Amino acid sequence: MTSHPPPRRDEDVDAELAFHVEMQTRRYVDAGLDPAAARVKALERLGNLEATRRSCRAIITAQEHEMTRTAWFNGIGQDVSYARRVLRRAPLFTITVLLTIAVGIGATTAIVSVLKSAMFDAVPYPDAGRLHVIWNEYATLPQAAVSAGEFADIKERNRAFDAVAAIRPAPGNLTGNCSGGAECEPERVSAYQVSPNLFEVLGAAPAIGRAFTAADGVTGAPGVVILSDALWRRRFGGDPGIVGQTITFAAVPRTVVGVMPAWTRFPDAPVGYLRMPAELWVPFDHVQNRNTGRGNQNLAVIGRARAGVATSQVQADLDRISGTFRTDLPDRYAGAAQKWRLATLTLRDQVAGDAKPVLLMLLGAVSLLLLIACANVANLVLARGTARSLEMAVRSALGADRRRLIRQLFVETALVVAVGGVLGIGIGVALLRALVSLDPGSLPRLDAASIDGVVLLGSLATTMATGLLIGLVPALRASRADPQAALGAQTRGAAAAPARRHVRHALVVIEVTMAVIVLVAAGLVVRSLTRLTQVPTGFNAGATVSAQITLPRATYNSADKVYGFQRDFTTRLRALPGVSSASGVYPLPMSGEGWSGTLGIEGFQEAPGIPEPHAEFAVALPGYFATMGISLREGRDFADSDTAATPPVVVVDDVLATQYFPNQSAIGKRVNFGGPITDGKTPWSTIIGVVDHVRNRGPRASGEGQYYMAALQKSEFTIFFVTRPAAADTPIAPAIRNAVREIDPRLPIARLEPIDAIVTRATARERFAVLLLSGFGLVALVLAGIGLYGVMSYLVGERTREIGVRLALGGRPGHVLARVLGEGITLTLFGLAFGLGLAYLLSETVSTLLFNVTPTDPLTYAAIAGLVLVVAVVAAFLPARRATRVDPLSVLRA
Amino acid sequence: MASASGSLPQGTLDLLILKTLATGPRHGYGLARRIEDTTDDALSIEEGSLYPALYRMERRKWIKASWKRSDLGKDIKVYELTDDGRAELRRRIADWGALTSLVSKVLRAR
Repeated sequence: MTSHPPPRRDEDVDAELAFHVEMQTRRYVDAGLDPAAARVKALERLGNLEATRRSCRAIITAQEHEMTRTAWFNGIGQDVSYARRVLRRAPLFTITVLLTIAVGIGATTAIVSVLKSAMFDAVPYPDAGRLHVIWNEYATLPQAAVSAGEFADIKERNRAFDAVAAIRPAPGNLTGNCSGGAECEPERVSAYQVSPNLFEVLGAAPAIGRAFTAADGVTGAPGVVILSDALWRRRFGGDPGIVGQTITFAAVPRTVVGVMPAWTRFPDAPVGYLRMPAELWVPFDHVQNRNTGRGNQNLAVIGRARAGVATSQVQADLDRISGTFRTDLPDRYAGAAQKWRLATLTLRDQVAGDAKPVLLMLLGAVSLLLLIACANVANLVLARGTARSLEMAVRSALGADRRRLIRQLFVETALVVAVGGVLGIGIGVALLRALVSLDPGSLPRLDAASIDGVVLLGSLATTMATGLLIGLVPALRASRADPQAALGAQTRGAAAAPARRHVRHALVVIEVTMAVIVLVAAGLVVRSLTRLTQVPTGFNAGATVSAQITLPRATYNSADKVYGFQRDFTTRLRALPGVSSASGVYPLPMSGEGWSGTLGIEGFQEAPGIPEPHAEFAVALPGYFATMGISLREGRDFADSDTAATPPVVVVDDVLATQYFPNQSAIGKRVNFGGPITDGKTPWSTIIGVVDHVRNRGPRASGEGQYYMAALQKSEFTIFFVTRPAAADTPIAPAIRNAVREIDPRLPIARLEPIDAIVTRATARERFAVLLLSGFGLVALVLAGIGLYGVMSYLVGERTREIGVRLALGGRPGHVLARVLGEGITLTLFGLAFGLGLAYLLSETVSTLLFNVTPTDPLTYAAIAGLVLVVAVVAAFLPARRATRVDPLSVLRA
Repeated sequence: MASASGSLPQGTLDLLILKTLATGPRHGYGLARRIEDTTDDALSIEEGSLYPALYRMERRKWIKASWKRSDLGKDIKVYELTDDGRAELRRRIADWGALTSLVSKVLRAR
């Protein structure tokens, strides 16, 4: 018996069964049967021959499939483990590529996720692109509110909208029953008085109960409210039975008709001057107030454009309506100085607001970063491909299947991208978390942002595609190459094919270009932030600490009690050891809270087309200006003797003083706060002092003129108390807490923090942009440096022989160094030229982000050019120095 | 057609094949004869069912097959036990013992 290769399966089964029948037949013949009968009996004994044959073949077929699959997977498994070995042998290459991919993917994913949540999730309404906000636009005030009369006209005259609604903040106290009918604490809630059709315009329906009807909005109709999900859960325990019950809001009993779903609290994010998300809504048809005066601009208007009507068409329609306003009321609307018109923008743009340019800039930066990452991966893979052409040639010569070699390279790239992608997710999550913690509130809905799966897949795919596409080219070439030629060429150390070198040079130039663009952007915002922090804010708070205290109306139910607390508390603060002065104000500059409104000026003639006097205002306790370091220019500060019993007094800033009392002293002049000058009901207040103008809204905006009323004449429940220590390092916060506790232990203190911290936060968005862009710029620079280093290294590697010959023939190492260095710097200069040029062209797009820095600031451009050159010299120097150390003898012998 | 003196319990055929191959490599027909001899033809299995069982066991790597050329010049497929098969046989014998003793215990119980 000899071994024999196995025959094919069908014949296999048949042969085996035939043998069985033959042997059995022979046995029956031996026992004395005639051959035919013996065969019949043998077949009979075997049973159903056909069925047996079929089951045997089925088993074999299944087994073969299994083997093929296993073989394929074993092959991939081998490739993966081989790839792992190869990659581990080149740790520098592997780590570089991994980090490049991880940073590119992580940064892109995090930023795009933030962008998506800010631009889209912050406006969660169906077909949100059709929602538009309408404002009065003046040259000095781009987004002024709309009066009821204007709203009524827009509603009647527009052709662009399906429906429009008006909304007005109407915060008030909620008293009376809570869950379980128990009497609970009164609380102040954020409420809005809205057109009954608001929710229809938004495309949001109540989760429980009904929306408002037109009849609900008519004056005199039974009072009704709709609750937000948050208020419903907090105060009414999420009881659906609340619908139909009566609650008391703003001292009026009203029936709860519905509860909105949790996803909408319109305004969900600030919409112009609508700052707080709503807790409840009250219906009111604002058209009823159309004759209350067009100066009384207190509405935000939102409309749903007809399907297919673009924002430009909406604006065109509003321009037409503006035209009718000018014709009807030329005195109010046609003044050339004010440049008035009705203006619109999408709700999305409104919400994204100032954040949009920052986000778009960051998006641009991360896109460039991803591009650099891709270029770097491509470059490194290409370089590796050159270095491995010998390996490929050897394997090909040894009979390796070409497809197998390509698959090997494919698996290698895929492995790196996959691992880099996983790292990238980690970086993305960390970056997103950092963004959320770094940015308290300057980006809409940032808290709700999460890593977006689509974005992640997109950036993974981009990197993978780049790596594979560019990785496959040398793989294909290497696998096709004539092994003998390749082997011979490699040992003689010839340079790579010129075409491939050009590709790599181009990639390095692109990397430098992109990096320069990101760096210029980063440099500009850094310069801008520096300028911003140097802006005189009008105050010099030093180590002053703020503490916000809101007195509950229930216990401080008379003006005397309020004044009593404020006097008593400031006296105690001043008496604390280490305190030089203490006072109070509301609202505190740069705290994010602000008041502004019209004011009346005695003897002021209203000129047609010029807006009524308008100013920022605040209430202050005596000693406030000294404590905050606001200079008193003229007159006097408030005194303890200015009380409710004495004539009302006011302090104005120099801007207001020169604007309305030019070329004369403002002291002794009289103003009032009832609005238009025709209002004779509010008493006149006499100006007693003029102080420096303060940038209340942060260093960027100079703001309007300002006036301060005496807190001790104006019973205000919320005050920011300010305490200035004599020495900067005296910790006074605990003492402030104690002082409050001694007077009224139930009073909560909010925002107990140095004014410094508040001022810093006022530039949070700028700091945010600076931090991210500098980070991205740095990464871009490092990546470009790595790219350059990689290319120069391989270049030197390829030319080892050439360099050796030069050195052997008496070439000076210095010349070799200069040549390699020169080549690296040439590439960098190309990148610099392109990068600076493109940055110059793109610079206009960042101008809105910049403060007192021109987008083409030469200093920034020069500094970036210098920085990039230094990095390039370092990146090229290391390989160049290696080139000078080539040993001519060993090279020539090889 | 063989008269079954009772159909074989599930898995018994596998056990018989494994046990028989433990005595040395055999071809399919030889296996059938050997089983017949050792059981005095009392089990008289339907011989056709032997082959799918063999193929199944080959797939599970309990047995392996090779083709030999017989002295008469015929190609014969010969099966032999693998190490896996030997382990399986030991396990099955143990199981069988446990089962039969359990059944006898039940049957003896009054």
